[in-house]
Amino acid sequence: MSRKKAFCELSDLQQYSQQLNEPALAWQFRQAAWQATLTAPKPDFAKINYRPWATLNGQLAVDSTTAEPVESSAQISQVAGRPVQINLSAEAQAAGVEALDLVAAWQQWPDLMEQYYGRVLPAASQQLAATHYATVNSGVVIRVPAKAKLTTPLTLDFSENGLDQQLNSQHVLLIAGADSEFSILETRQTLGDQQPSASIVEELVLLAGAKVRFAAIDQLALTTYLARYAQLADNARLDWALGIMNEGDILADFNTDLNGQGSQSEVKAVAISTGSQNQGITTRITNYGQHTKANILQHGVILSDATLIFNGVGHIVKGARGSDSQQENRVLMLSRTARGDANPILLIDENDVRAGHAASVGRVNQEQMYYLMSRGLSKDLAERLVIRGFLGSVLSEIPAADARQILTDTIERKLIDGQRHRDRAQ
Amino acid sequence: MATLTIKDLHVRIDDESGHKEILKGVNLTMKTGEIHAIMGPNGTGKSTLSETIMGNPRYKVTSGDILLNGESLLDQPVDARARAGLFLAMQYPAEIMGVTNAEFMRAAINSRRPDDNPISVREFIKQLDQNLALLDMNEAMAERYLNQGFSGGEKKRNEILQLLMIKPSFAILDEIDSGLDIDAMKVVAKGVNSMRGDNFGSLIITHYQRLLDYIEPDVVHVMMGGRIVKSGDAQLAQKLEAEGYAGLRDELGLDIKLTDEN
Repeated sequence: MSRKKAFCELSDLQQYSQQLNEPALAWQFRQAAWQATLTAPKPDFAKINYRPWATLNGQLAVDSTTAEPVESSAQISQVAGRPVQINLSAEAQAAGVEALDLVAAWQQWPDLMEQYYGRVLPAASQQLAATHYATVNSGVVIRVPAKAKLTTPLTLDFSENGLDQQLNSQHVLLIAGADSEFSILETRQTLGDQQPSASIVEELVLLAGAKVRFAAIDQLALTTYLARYAQLADNARLDWALGIMNEGDILADFNTDLNGQGSQSEVKAVAISTGSQNQGITTRITNYGQHTKANILQHGVILSDATLIFNGVGHIVKGARGSDSQQENRVLMLSRTARGDANPILLIDENDVRAGHAASVGRVNQEQMYYLMSRGLSKDLAERLVIRGFLGSVLSEIPAADARQILTDTIERKLIDGQRHRDRAQ
Repeated sequence: MATLTIKDLHVRIDDESGHKEILKGVNLTMKTGEIHAIMGPNGTGKSTLSETIMGNPRYKVTSGDILLNGESLLDQPVDARARAGLFLAMQYPAEIMGVTNAEFMRAAINSRRPDDNPISVREFIKQLDQNLALLDMNEAMAERYLNQGFSGGEKKRNEILQLLMIKPSFAILDEIDSGLDIDAMKVVAKGVNSMRGDNFGSLIITHYQRLLDYIEPDVVHVMMGGRIVKSGDAQLAQKLEAEGYAGLRDELGLDIKLTDEN
């Protein structure tokens, strides 16, 4: 068997780890991940051929800039490769929420890191994960204590770093204590116009009875592997609302494991692909525990020559009796050269369950267009209104009014850009 | 004063079964200030006429013309015809998620105004409240998604609400009375009558004379076999009610088979 070539020498990686001031524990983990890059299989996402575009690009280097921190109103913010900025709200502090930069977490919370880091998405599970853990250069660890209840969302604001050619590899680990209840509002974007690639992994651990609502607005410009992985203990509940409004090529890998009995998760995702970008989105929920409930709802719109693939994967394992897995994936194509697919996959290994799916790939409903236009609305405006309705299911789930407005405005802007592009082409 | 003229209009519909000529030379002239009614048996082309005037792309004009104030509308898409002053209250209004009734009506009003001079929120709400009251509609209707989950009667009222808000020159009401009980029909008639005046004309399409008891027409046309076969005043509607379409056909000596005739 021929030995694969590693993406970098182990000695270089060790030097990198030292520059980051990582303790031995972190280095051991990184070294194991480097080994895994040689043996782990490439992940397979149905109908998404990411190999031509999702390539590793950039240098493994420590950011030595002493740039001013980027202003953010969020409680936790970070530019990839730089230290995290933490400015928790009074409510979060009073509730005992804690956050640390990834390196500091290795130093101060070694037990927690050993217990949770790299457990939801293991490094050895597949090559993109292994590469992530081997190259990770920034991140944050957040702990919400048991029974903490927050009335306002915990805000996270993360930027990809396109200011130079440094590889982006950022990790977020969040532990939601037993019976805690809170929501998260995350925004992601890109700084600069350089084009290194990015690897982002978020791991969410929900302990028994935790209830979390996770809303995100993604506006990434780099070629990015974006993984959001969660595992739920007994009776935990996680509701995702994801606005996938990226400018760049994105391989999105969203995975929720319903490990505990009676746990449940709902994923609502909307996406718009424009220009010539590729967005491949795989959302998987696996029912391991009994009486668990999964629901996936994905709606997307494609303009110009762009590609958007939605895979919805509902997997009920043997023994997960009384479980439920539902999904709906729909894609609207607004141009003849758009490429898209809505691909439902149900894997059922248990009899005593309920499961269902719906999927469609289509064009804007002409009867709706005619009706709106018959009142004087222009074709472009009518089209945007029909699409807004089509994407509305996620909009209503965004917890904060201003964030909802950001997403609405982003959708509007992307559609107007796409329509202009199309109208010029005709 | 505005004038809507239909000249020797021939219209075809293309479907799976091939081409079918539905209108075979319709002539009609109406002015603002007038209410016209078109009556006729099923399958005679009444809805085709209304959809074709509005510009539904499913209907193909093979010859003839539709003119508004002397200018042909045939090359104009549906939205341009609407902004030029036409309105069609539809038999089957579409349901649209995520867009509220109020938002839609504001967009419709603003599409007729310059971009830098939209209707003020205050003025819009004032008009909306007046019209909701006139039509016995609940204020909550304005914030519901456009026709989403509306009952048949609610949809018809909502068409009339849009008519009152948009204030077109010519409104075509395509079987606005179908599926309405007598109380709802009175409300709809009240709405249409409130629009009557020198700057408004309406073409009311109906099977039955009953609606015309509440909205008295100036002219009544009878359509059969894709043509207008007779025109007259309001009395013509009453005569039809008494004698039926078959009676009129035989009186005129027409060779037309009525769809519902055995």
